[in-house]
Amino acid sequence: MSSRMYQIAPPKKWLKTQITRLCLYFLGMGIETAYKNVPDVKKEMDTLPDHFSFCFNVHNGPSMMILKNGNTVKYAGEKEAYHADLELVLKNIEYAYLMMTGRISTPDAVYHNRQFVRGNLGYMMTMIRVLNISQTLLFPNVLLRFYIKKVPPLTMKTMINRTKAYANATIGFFA
Amino acid sequence: MNIQKKDGCPKYFEFFNSVKIISGYKALENISSELDLLGAKRPIIITDKGVNNAGLMDHVVNSFGGTQITIGAVYDDTPVDSSNVAVNEIAGIYRQQQCDSIIAVGGGSVIDTAKGVNIVISEETDDLMKFAGNNRLTKTMRPFIVVPTTAGTGSEVTMAAVIANPAQNVKMQFTSPLILPKVAVLDPVMTMSMPPKITAATAMDALTHAVEAYIGPQKNPVSDAFAFSAIELIKENIISATKNGGDKDVRLAMANASLLAGVSFSNSMVGIVHALAHATGGRCHVPHGIANAILLPHGLEFYLKKSPETAERIGKLLRFFIEPEDYAKVPASERKIKTIAAIRDINDNLHKLCGLPLTLSQAGVTKDKLESIAQVALNDGAMAFCPVEISHEEAMDVLQAAF
Repeated sequence: MSSRMYQIAPPKKWLKTQITRLCLYFLGMGIETAYKNVPDVKKEMDTLPDHFSFCFNVHNGPSMMILKNGNTVKYAGEKEAYHADLELVLKNIEYAYLMMTGRISTPDAVYHNRQFVRGNLGYMMTMIRVLNISQTLLFPNVLLRFYIKKVPPLTMKTMINRTKAYANATIGFFA
Repeated sequence: MNIQKKDGCPKYFEFFNSVKIISGYKALENISSELDLLGAKRPIIITDKGVNNAGLMDHVVNSFGGTQITIGAVYDDTPVDSSNVAVNEIAGIYRQQQCDSIIAVGGGSVIDTAKGVNIVISEETDDLMKFAGNNRLTKTMRPFIVVPTTAGTGSEVTMAAVIANPAQNVKMQFTSPLILPKVAVLDPVMTMSMPPKITAATAMDALTHAVEAYIGPQKNPVSDAFAFSAIELIKENIISATKNGGDKDVRLAMANASLLAGVSFSNSMVGIVHALAHATGGRCHVPHGIANAILLPHGLEFYLKKSPETAERIGKLLRFFIEPEDYAKVPASERKIKTIAAIRDINDNLHKLCGLPLTLSQAGVTKDKLESIAQVALNDGAMAFCPVEISHEEAMDVLQAAF
């Protein structure tokens, strides 16, 4: 009798993982830039505890860590999420990829339970507002409606801040 | 057209509720066999003075007559606002008396306290604070049975608990599927002694759960089914329950409605009405059901202006408040207005019957508190489940309309 036992390795989903990683990187740099240049973001994040860590990650996948230390906010790359005060976890790389490429909006990801939060919900509400504003620095208004609930009007200030966010992410300048 | 398509079935949804429901006359008699099935023999019963003084504990204790179950301890000093002090004290008693399971007999506060005790015991900790927030729990909880004595919170089937930390003057929220009770026992004798005003307020709380669960963006066909059943039962029984609390059939119907609404909103979540009601309770100590009753029509009116999709859903709810032939006669464009009017009628009737407040000022809120209520509400988790982004000014508009 021949055996039907065999082993099989699932695909790595390398491309989706790298695209998600890149988007998380830009998002992290966007938050860092927004804290320094957008008063509403500074006001929101100043309500968080002085030593505070926020991790946005994909379950078993890429992540980004934001560290707040007194009056500075730093994107800290892919740090271990274990000790994060607040964690926003996307349940798998497929959801993350769809979300990062604008095919599931951030609010829809919440409504569809495609993510879960570990930590204080009040802090999460603050971080959702910060993420919303930071995303306005990363995408043109025509695309923003795929990411956030309410698209703010385009102003000169937003365009300048967008330039700074991309300069910060690409050449570490204007941060 | 698009809305109907979206309303039919979402592209993706999740639904979870693992609580065994035992509902009906003499349902209490099943507690001992349920404990047996859970492998427990020595429960601690957590309740409060009100429940004890009303003689409700006698029903529960009598249900153990002739069984092998030993009541390890009874704690009847649960505060009106559940606190970590009470949780730690009860956990100490649980360990000292070598209990192996928990039975909560009471309203939302007792149930939340019992959930806190279960966390402390099961996670083998002395610091409840470490587990505050979402999804912080990792261990399987101890056998936990809930016998609600109010019909409104739905706490017997929800995966959340709110517990105060008086030393730091904060209320901590604990959310995890792990804290769901194993069994919910609904017996009409347990809600018979509720006074009319509490009956009305808790019923309006349940109605708000069901309405917000249906109109919210996280709704799905399964949660809709629970919400619809809840609204139907509440509409049929809310006035009779307030008028004639001695009617067992009506009490059972309301207990079931509260549970159904609880299952629904635990999965679909709630929105602006709850966010504002939580904040109103936190800042001005207005009971949650009363705050919900006052704010529900105003929250719905807010959606009429801001979210056409939600407005359409509000209109669809009219069929639960009027006769089918009358519903057919109302033009689709007017249904949403009529739904809100129907909810206002219920509030007016309850006001006449038992003095349920109709405005925030009647409930003791002062105008100078509105700003801080709006501020606190913006950080409430329920705001994430509003179909539209809500600003401080918009939250203030709703509060001022309700004032």
